[in-house]
Amino acid sequence: MLTQYLFVFAQVHDEFRVPELLSISELYGFEIKFPENPEDKDTSRPFMILELESEEHARLLASRCILIKYVCEFYARGKSYDEIHERNRLRKPQWEKYIEDTSFKFLVTAFNHTIPQWRQKDVVESFSYMDFRGKIDMKNPDITLACFEEYPDKHGTTREKTEGDGEFDEVWFGRLIEVGLARPLVKKFDVKKRVYFGNTSMEAEMSLLMANQTLASPGKLVYDPFVGTGSIAYTTAHFGAFVFGSDIDGRQIRGKVKPPGIIRAAAQYGVANRIMDLCTFDVTQNPWRCGELFDAIVTDPPYGVRAGAKRLGRKNKRPPREGPLPVHVERPDDQPYVPPTKPYELSELARDLVLLARYMLKPRGRLVFFLPTVTEEYEELDVQAMLCEGMEIVANSLQNFGSWGRRLITIRKTTTKKFSPPTFDPAHAVTDNVDAHVPAHKDFREKYFQGFKKNDAIADSEARED
Amino acid sequence: MLLEACSLCYSVLYSSILAVLAGMVRLITHNLLACHAKGCTSNNFPLQFQDAAIELRDAEFNADFLRGFLPRIEWPALVGAARQLGDASLPAEQPEMLDDEFLQKLHHVLLEIHVEEGAMVCPNCKHVYPISNGIPNMLLAEHEIG
Ligand SMILES: C[S@@+](CC[C@H](N)C(=O)[O-])C[C@H]1O[C@@H](n2cnc3c(N)ncnc32)[C@H](O)[C@@H]1O
Ligand SMILES: [Zn+2]
Repeated sequence: MLTQYLFVFAQVHDEFRVPELLSISELYGFEIKFPENPEDKDTSRPFMILELESEEHARLLASRCILIKYVCEFYARGKSYDEIHERNRLRKPQWEKYIEDTSFKFLVTAFNHTIPQWRQKDVVESFSYMDFRGKIDMKNPDITLACFEEYPDKHGTTREKTEGDGEFDEVWFGRLIEVGLARPLVKKFDVKKRVYFGNTSMEAEMSLLMANQTLASPGKLVYDPFVGTGSIAYTTAHFGAFVFGSDIDGRQIRGKVKPPGIIRAAAQYGVANRIMDLCTFDVTQNPWRCGELFDAIVTDPPYGVRAGAKRLGRKNKRPPREGPLPVHVERPDDQPYVPPTKPYELSELARDLVLLARYMLKPRGRLVFFLPTVTEEYEELDVQAMLCEGMEIVANSLQNFGSWGRRLITIRKTTTKKFSPPTFDPAHAVTDNVDAHVPAHKDFREKYFQGFKKNDAIADSEARED
Repeated sequence: MLLEACSLCYSVLYSSILAVLAGMVRLITHNLLACHAKGCTSNNFPLQFQDAAIELRDAEFNADFLRGFLPRIEWPALVGAARQLGDASLPAEQPEMLDDEFLQKLHHVLLEIHVEEGAMVCPNCKHVYPISNGIPNMLLAEHEIG
């Protein structure tokens, strides 16, 4: 038997809400029934009623989903208090067990509005027909009854704090089961409070959402091939997984003082012993001995805005040198030798990443990564065209910055077939294949620095860069 | 969580933790990396430790993780690397019975032996991959890439 639960969400990252719920329910192996009416699953609203088999499942969601603020057993909703009370009376079988001897308190609050104290009191009194006889206990009640008024977004308009009081769109009522237990992690992982970070560090909330998309849990092994300063490693390890990180630039991993920066920050979060290892290499020239090692690959690939995508090699191939091979030059940051690198175009990198993931993931493993793209030009085909046999899209959530944005792509490996490691051969690049679909994220870096003007100046700028 | 206690004692706690902190190179990682220099495709595994400075550090035991990982391990390479570093606890042949005693030993060898400094050298082409602060540098030089 399914029961209705009222979920209250943080009003951020709308497109990440449903994928996160689905990931956590998959992790724990239960089903969520979503509302059928499109209006009731509008993610721009903070409320959603989900049907679950048990209260335990509601608690599990509240313990892991970053976007959940509250979960309640749902009693009623209405356009007015008359309506909600009428419906709540019909729900008596659900709450009558609390009438006799249960201590309780009320939580009356609003979204996009502040309810004045005096009316909060009125609201509480209007529920007196429920006739709860237990004592009111503001500190440690057995149950909390929660009433939420939902107001239209009045953003940008000036008004008195309590203006329009009572003119809500809808009011929601239920018994509070859990306050979102994962939401405070956004503060805990705040980059500014971290002992080691850099200008490529991913903000805490996104790092947490990414970790949830990987289904991180104890006993799993997760890989970030562009680990940088490690933001995603910390959150993934927090949920119990072992994490392996590599980066072409060892300075990102280490920072300036010892021990290595990523280890210091991991220790700050109590997860240093879940960092399996850190390694310096170019992912296109990688030393992995075999495939099918990881439960997930999670990463923020370089796209040339702050951390340029590079790969070993020279832009313009030199004729083979004659004479002795280059000697090792000691550098102050104790990297013995830093080979030259050449740019790595984003659509090429994205396609390589999917192939690498198919090789390196265990069957049913997930690839979770950000794909920056040009808002106006984006089409669904851009993402579809990156896929290959045995890799299937699970989620695609946009974080919109206006003219550009980034999409968190979650892909599942659906095959048990063995594949050979990718060749990372630039000869197969989208660029050179005239028939291939040209995605909006192609040459993202150049488009970014041109302010996303629609013109053919990209080729020119490439020429100028040399 | 030790570090959440209060912001004043933070620096004190933190430095005491740092004393036992460093990078690593655990044998599990060593077992997964092969030389990838251009043209070096046979006898390029396992890499040989050179001048290895090791440290032992506790890791979380997870039997499911170990059982799941075992099929990926090159057994003789693991036993050889452990012996090279002075740990002879693993049997030369991978046992069929994965009892708790065996898993504990495997856990120790795979996850608790850390190589902090030194290098890993390719048995075939002799490429030297230096390890500094527990981070192996697996980058190839220009003339070594395919
Ligand atoms: C967007 S940053 C990742 C930032 C990371 N999430 C963090 O928290 O700092 C991309 C990283 O990719 C690295 N990178 C660029 N090209 C690479 C390549 N070919 N192989 C491996 N790493 C590469 C850069 O050094 C940079 O650290
Ligand atoms: Zn070699």
